[in-house]
Amino acid sequence: RISSHGEPAKFQPPPKPVIIDKRKQREERRFLSPEFIPPRGRTDPFKFYIERKDMIQRRKVFNIPEFYVGSVLAVTTADPCANDKVSRFVGICIQRGGKGLGATFVLRNVIEDQGVEICYELYNPRIQAIEVLKLEKRLDDNLMYLRDALPEYSTFDVNMKPVTHLDHEEIPVNKLQVRMKPKPWSKRWERPKYNIKGIKFELPEKKMKEAQKWSQPWLEFDMLREYDTSKIEEKIWKEVSEELKK
Amino acid sequence: MMPIWTKSGKKHAVTLLKVQDCHVLRYISKEESGGKTSKLLVGGKNASPFSKSESAMEIFKEAGVPRKQKVTTFNVTDDAIIKPGTPLYAAHFRPGQFVDVTAKTIGKGFQGVMKRWGFKGQPASHGQTKTHRRPGAISTNKAAKVYRGKKMPGRMGNIYRTSFGLKVWRINTKHDIIYVNGSVPGHTNCLVKVKDSKLPTYKDCNKNPPFPTFFADGDEKLPEDLYDEEIFQFTDPSVTYA
Repeated sequence: RISSHGEPAKFQPPPKPVIIDKRKQREERRFLSPEFIPPRGRTDPFKFYIERKDMIQRRKVFNIPEFYVGSVLAVTTADPCANDKVSRFVGICIQRGGKGLGATFVLRNVIEDQGVEICYELYNPRIQAIEVLKLEKRLDDNLMYLRDALPEYSTFDVNMKPVTHLDHEEIPVNKLQVRMKPKPWSKRWERPKYNIKGIKFELPEKKMKEAQKWSQPWLEFDMLREYDTSKIEEKIWKEVSEELKK
Repeated sequence: MMPIWTKSGKKHAVTLLKVQDCHVLRYISKEESGGKTSKLLVGGKNASPFSKSESAMEIFKEAGVPRKQKVTTFNVTDDAIIKPGTPLYAAHFRPGQFVDVTAKTIGKGFQGVMKRWGFKGQPASHGQTKTHRRPGAISTNKAAKVYRGKKMPGRMGNIYRTSFGLKVWRINTKHDIIYVNGSVPGHTNCLVKVKDSKLPTYKDCNKNPPFPTFFADGDEKLPEDLYDEEIFQFTDPSVTYA
């Protein structure tokens, strides 16, 4: 090789290979489904313990996979009115609500130009299978604004192939900015109360500034609204993972 | 309150009631009480003995039981008398039987006529002067008086009310919990009285109740959870329609 200097170049050793210990990375990620975390209130924690026992029982028999708002799921339920007595629906999860056994998730899809949203209960015994076709997160916790977005953002192929996701990798965050249909929308999504980061607002500057009038900057400093769930989450995660391993 | 699913896939809402340290306190015979049947005094949740007078504590001392927060009477036939001092458990009830639940409703304070009695009030606009939630007329001209019991504003709630005919879906014998269908009067963690239903449709419902009650030190060993026949138990595979 001809080096730029006249003298021969110094010997550069090859770069050392970086060893990623996959076992350690896998242990770091713990996922506790949000319906296990008890809401703030005056109910006896014993009631949540009893409910958790039932939820763990159901999880032992039926696998409820890890998923987030923004991942694409396929749910097969037993339906007495369908031909095969089984109905399958594919959609993007736009909302996860409820705590305990009544936890629900809403799947949205556009089928033949008609937007369809179905609210499923996680612990309903009629559900035969839940498959995660694409595991990913989005910028918001609540994708209800997809109702006012262009339909292309809510359409998903019913016969989509599941996208493989390796165990040790982190969940990808899809930083998609969605384009909206012209106003009027079902809710005023530009207002700071919804705190939406996933919309590409094409409104004039004046409207965006006017929307900031409804901001409540004192809310994040309100101490009575604080609910620190880290310790509760750890306790419950230990309990749940021990029970599920049995 | 929790959801519960049946084997056909229907969902029902269920209230959890915990039987916390219930003991029989005293037996009052028919002649003593003056009623048609003899009575049994039963006490509920344990409480501190220091804030009551000695005379009130006599009943608890006789039975040999710590002071209870709530004491209620149950009308009992002569063959169902229980010795004072015996503990009562949730296994006294069986899944599939029907039950009446009595409790003090949530107190709402002084309330107006629209919330308390469900009056319609007056329209919000079209010329109404200072009259939107008022009762309007309270009597007729000919009566020349207001009848007793006229529905008017006043204190609402904090009174005893009963919900009748509630089905018992499940009983947890280890923690003494009764799963009762539907809602129950009272706030969360309030004290509640549970009786066998008095409705005539459920008179012959309970086939083999534990009579006079379920004794923990007896021969019967019950499993931890007792379920009704129609309940979907979470140990079973998912529901399918054939």
